[in-house]
Amino acid sequence: MTFTEYVQSRSDELTQAFGQHALVVAASMAIATVLGVGIGLITWRRPRLSGLAIGMSSGFLTIPSFALLGLLIPVLGLGWTPTVFALTLYSLLPIIRNTVVGLRGVDAAIVEAGRGMGMSSFRVLWRVQLPLAWPLILTGIRVSTQMIIGIAAIASYVAGPGLGNQILDGLSRLGSANSLNEALAGTLGVVILALLCDLFFLIVRRLTSSRGLRVR
Amino acid sequence: MSADVLTGTAAIGGEVYGGPSLRGRTRALLRHLGTPVAIAVVLGALYLWVHGLKLDSIEQRTLNYTYIHDRVIEHVKLTVVATLLVIVIAIPLGVLVSRPKARWVSPIVLGLSNLGQAIPSIGLLVLLTIKFGVGFKIAMFGLVAYAVLPVLRNTMVGIQQVDPFLVEAARGMGMTRRQVLVSVELRLAVPVILAGLRTALVLTVGVATLAAFVNAGGLGEMIVNGIKLSRHPVLITGSVLTCCIAFLVDWLGNLVEDLLRPRGLS
Repeated sequence: MTFTEYVQSRSDELTQAFGQHALVVAASMAIATVLGVGIGLITWRRPRLSGLAIGMSSGFLTIPSFALLGLLIPVLGLGWTPTVFALTLYSLLPIIRNTVVGLRGVDAAIVEAGRGMGMSSFRVLWRVQLPLAWPLILTGIRVSTQMIIGIAAIASYVAGPGLGNQILDGLSRLGSANSLNEALAGTLGVVILALLCDLFFLIVRRLTSSRGLRVR
Repeated sequence: MSADVLTGTAAIGGEVYGGPSLRGRTRALLRHLGTPVAIAVVLGALYLWVHGLKLDSIEQRTLNYTYIHDRVIEHVKLTVVATLLVIVIAIPLGVLVSRPKARWVSPIVLGLSNLGQAIPSIGLLVLLTIKFGVGFKIAMFGLVAYAVLPVLRNTMVGIQQVDPFLVEAARGMGMTRRQVLVSVELRLAVPVILAGLRTALVLTVGVATLAAFVNAGGLGEMIVNGIKLSRHPVLITGSVLTCCIAFLVDWLGNLVEDLLRPRGLS
């Protein structure tokens, strides 16, 4: 069976795996974005705290993914829960770091001007600082997404959902006719998902970043 | 040159360092001491815990000195050899690509390294295995292929971000192009190159666990066995040892970064 024939004959299964892969990444990213931006917002004014947050999240990133998943099994069992948990931990660092760096990078004079116009500090944060830091925060979210799309494939070994199952099926049927097709379909699926996500973030960036920033 | 410029170009893998004040230095020293102490504590706790367990025959087969020793050696060997190969391949290539004549290559390298990041490590390893068979060499090939691009990219970016005025000044002082490269450009690029290398090294420790899937040994084998036979002590021992190697490698990288950073910077 050629690769195209394989993909056509298994299109249902592949679409489902692709959808689940996208879903598990999206769920983890949603949690990580709320947590990461939240932690960034709380800590960016306090270098000691933000240093601690960045240090801890970079510690998470040092843990090899397969080892983390292994450590989570006795606590969280198999399947979606350890997968989402691990993916969330991995995606924190770029988001927290870029939120902190982005907020710190906002020109103090602009903040001052906002205050001088009579805006409350919350309003300054919401209308001035966050919009100015947003492109950098979004970059952090994008970097995290790219990273965990690949890691999610490994999570299939702990019964996680997604395209990793195709890859592992291919490996377990090593030598049979379809093993290469299966592994190739899984791997290419992950690459395609990553490219689509990149495109998605390009569009989001275009739509959501402040027009003043774009003109420059 | 501010630290922000460096961390900005290094994307992930760089850290913002404080000034070279005395207090900063003691704190840096303490930070360097912290990791090995923590690793020693974790390993000690792991030993005591496993020692206190009543192991069944399956667990005894893996939770003994010889087995663990062999797996650790395999894991370290995979990581170290892969890293050495990556250094030999990626850094000279990165220097080559950063030359003014090869400027047109740099967007291609950046694009490729982004695309390469999208390829899942497990997919790459499995595909290589299906195509070429199982074993240490294939796993090694996969590890190297996976880590070459980020190091290449950081070498290129590191050299390109050196202030052109400094290069100009060095040329004006009568240095040859080679001298400028060795004693100005490469020196100043060291922090960025090392940041890339350290990230790649930690990544390699992680990807090396997947070598177990293609029968190339390493600590991944313990994790796989632990999951397959649902023996938590085996699983946890394998995972914790892998983590310890990763943190140790990261710590070593950090130490080397601090030692090799040019004095003028920071």
